[in-house]
Amino acid sequence: MNSKVTNRIALSLIVLCAVIMVSTLAALLGYILVKGLTNISWHFLTSESSAFMAGGGIKDQLWNSFYVLIITMILTIPIGTSGGIYLAEYARPGKLTSFIRSCVEVLASLPSIVVGMFGMLIFVNYFGFKFSVLSGALALTVFNLPVIVRVTEDGFRALPLHQKEGGLALGLTHWHTIKTILLPEAFPSILTGIILSAGRVFGESAALLFTAGMSTPNLDFTNWNPASPNSPLNLFRSAETLSVHIWAVNTSGIIPDIQAVANGSSAVLVICVLMFNLLARAVGKMINQKLSGR
Amino acid sequence: MVVQMENKITSFVNSEDVDRPVLINVEDTNIYYGDNHAVKHVNMPIHERSITALIGPSGCGKSTFIRTINRMNDLIPSARCEGKIDYHGINILSPKVDVVKLRTEIGMVFQQPNPFPKSISENIQLPLKFAGIHNKKTLRDVTEKCLKQVGLWEEVKDRLDRSATGLSGGQQQRLCIARALALKPDVILLDEPTSALDPVSSAKIEELLLQLKKDYTIVIVTHNMQQAARIADYTAFFYQGELVEFGTTKTLFTMPEKKSTSDYICGRFG
Repeated sequence: MNSKVTNRIALSLIVLCAVIMVSTLAALLGYILVKGLTNISWHFLTSESSAFMAGGGIKDQLWNSFYVLIITMILTIPIGTSGGIYLAEYARPGKLTSFIRSCVEVLASLPSIVVGMFGMLIFVNYFGFKFSVLSGALALTVFNLPVIVRVTEDGFRALPLHQKEGGLALGLTHWHTIKTILLPEAFPSILTGIILSAGRVFGESAALLFTAGMSTPNLDFTNWNPASPNSPLNLFRSAETLSVHIWAVNTSGIIPDIQAVANGSSAVLVICVLMFNLLARAVGKMINQKLSGR
Repeated sequence: MVVQMENKITSFVNSEDVDRPVLINVEDTNIYYGDNHAVKHVNMPIHERSITALIGPSGCGKSTFIRTINRMNDLIPSARCEGKIDYHGINILSPKVDVVKLRTEIGMVFQQPNPFPKSISENIQLPLKFAGIHNKKTLRDVTEKCLKQVGLWEEVKDRLDRSATGLSGGQQQRLCIARALALKPDVILLDEPTSALDPVSSAKIEELLLQLKKDYTIVIVTHNMQQAARIADYTAFFYQGELVEFGTTKTLFTMPEKKSTSDYICGRFG
């Protein structure tokens, strides 16, 4: 067999794999969107879900998903980026560092249902946070932290060494070099990573089943006092998110329009995650262009 | 112009500035990378307000050595130094030395121009702001002065707030030198500053260094012997980690004592 033929075979195999991948994705997205889009209406997005009757919406679930996501990010981003900066810039190669790094890897590969069980035992039961936004966000923090650490560390490691040398050679301290030179340069890749991980957190359900709960109190969207039990901002109320809602409706729902609600919710969820991905690309590209001065 | 200059090597005479006082004295300095003995028993003076060139073939330890003078080798975990580099009565190699302060007095310019991806003025003002200078007028004045010193002012004065990465390679390197001048250091170390540049830009940098040596002590690593002959007052020839020969540029290039020096200068190896 001559090399030309080998080349052809390799190329066709690669193209075949790419086609399989793309068509699977397209089929999946198409199926979800075609089935779901017809169920999405302004009414669906802005009304409360119903327990028995048809025609319920997903207003609270949608809000909960974003709220849990925001709390999770507030908890994860400072800790995760600091950890990543530590691993990339300060940690000296040695036993402790490789131990920390393998901990991060193990944490990243934990099945989310296990994280959920852990969250239930620790945050819900031990700390007594009950099924709440906070418990859910803390469980998702465990789930998301290693991703942010990894993204930050990789972002810093990808920077050329001569930038760091340039800063240090000017008599800047290591920290000041990180703060004024390296962090702004690594920022686009870190931000892209954060937005992508936000998509993952947004769609997560297993870790939330036993932590944020499968119900939501009657939220009063005119009451923004975080201490009041039916305020949307209350951290200590249970909060069923969109993906948990899909699961709950499908497995134990007694409403007559299960199919419609599940399809509509799935479509909304997928659209949100898609938007996170597109946003990540757009923001990364924009900042890159701004930084390179064009 | 460059070609002309190259032809003048042998007739090069630069004796006006020799015998300046010694600013930095290197005494029996050894540098190791793990088990690799990269620089061996180096003794040499660095004279004030003159240009000292370090020449030698690749891997001879000249870059390692220059990076030790402002402790940039601290970045490499396996690097280790022994000996003494005396500067104003303190030993630069001592662990007690405040390296951050040291680097404000002994600045460095690298082979690859490395402006920060920020505006041109921010590149110069960053070290000043860190040093606690926040007066806008002072910052502007220093920026203008430094850019004028490196002959970049006329080229960039209308786009100081544009990104420095948009400049040409030669302009970037002159900006890096201007940035190093902002803190008014005593010494400027240059690690092959022109090897990534075209001949015209290189010639500009050489002219600039000849200007700067009136006020600064300059140490330059170069793999380009003609460059050393053109601009340096003193030249040190490194080979396989050893300082083979040190002397005034004129002596080293016209009457080298060691055979390997003359072999290298005549282009027989390296």
